[in-house]
Amino acid sequence: MAGILAIEYVLPEYKLSNEELADVYQVWTAEKISKKTGINERRIAGEKETAVDLGVAAAEKLFDSRIIDREEVGFVLFVTQSPDYILPTSACIIQERLRLSKNCGAFDINLGCSGFVYGLAAAKGLVESGIAGKVLLITAETYSKHINPLDRSTRTIFGDGAAAALIGGGGMKIGSFALGTDGTGRDLLMIPSGGMRTPRSKETSKEKNAGGNIRSGEQLFMDGTGIFEFTIREVPKNVEQILQKEGLTNQEIDLFIFHQANKFMLDYLRKTMNIEKDRFYMNFSDIGNTVSATIPIAMKRAMDEKIIGRGQNILLCGFGVGLSWGSTIIKTGDYVGERV
Amino acid sequence: MEESKKLALLEEAFEMEEGELKADMELDGIDDYNSMAKLALIVMMNDECGKQLTNEQIKGFNKVQDILDYMG
Repeated sequence: MAGILAIEYVLPEYKLSNEELADVYQVWTAEKISKKTGINERRIAGEKETAVDLGVAAAEKLFDSRIIDREEVGFVLFVTQSPDYILPTSACIIQERLRLSKNCGAFDINLGCSGFVYGLAAAKGLVESGIAGKVLLITAETYSKHINPLDRSTRTIFGDGAAAALIGGGGMKIGSFALGTDGTGRDLLMIPSGGMRTPRSKETSKEKNAGGNIRSGEQLFMDGTGIFEFTIREVPKNVEQILQKEGLTNQEIDLFIFHQANKFMLDYLRKTMNIEKDRFYMNFSDIGNTVSATIPIAMKRAMDEKIIGRGQNILLCGFGVGLSWGSTIIKTGDYVGERV
Repeated sequence: MEESKKLALLEEAFEMEEGELKADMELDGIDDYNSMAKLALIVMMNDECGKQLTNEQIKGFNKVQDILDYMG
């Protein structure tokens, strides 16, 4: 049975504080941003620092820990919406950057906040079908490069970061999955232009003011209300589905690690689903919402803090752009991230 | 629910001062009616009125009175 063997993560150096944002936006104070989002600062990638760079650095930390040799990696899955190029596939570039075997498979997964859960589903399939012995699952994002500096609806929330998880036989066992998709909500979180449907043009590059937020059609748009409505509609149902699939009750889950979206949303979900604070992990005030990297970063932090221990059931749930969502349950058993 | 109570709930959700909100105000003209306030409105409507509020319904509100009417 496939499991998570190890997780490492990296963050860019630059810290964007609420004070700096409040100076720009005027209408919101630093305190108000903190109160509503639960975020005090977020990390922002350098001008020439990409999601691939961050992902490679996270994977190098795994190799540095000597948990695995490079030639043992049989597959690289790279989850991002900030690829280096439209083509080639960033995962192929990562194979070269990490000096992995040429017998290693590699592809990208274009998903956002649900991406880690979907990556785990793919990795589990690859391991349990015997296609790959060990899978390197890298989730890396630099939404800051898609965001207009004067768009407070997204700039207050998102931060850049990357995590690398090693999936193989043994480890913290990955259970079944409850996955969901609803493409009717595609325009709730979107970069409208720059793909083949609406190529970049003079018109799409024009910045417009929408309710006090400035952005062009080539930059990230988020309908926060729509995303919130989708989340509170679908996430509780999805969590119920995975509990039923695994034959577990809410009370038998030791720790819930949801996509670390923002405090307002997570507080509401936690209360709606009757989960006590000590079973609901939140730790993103210093990094913001790092999209597909939030769940593995939170897992690693919970492991370092010894909140994740032996014999636990941990429920992971990711949700966001697509719309796309999914849950799985990790059973730690006797394994909580020691060397293999 | 009395209108004064409803207005007080909206003022709390929008983080406005007591007595600041009037039924005939245009929502577009209220600085505090921002994306965060709309999320608080969804939560308040569920918790206090037991009603689900969709994104489309929120987009359909023009005046404070429209919200008061929906609150029932």
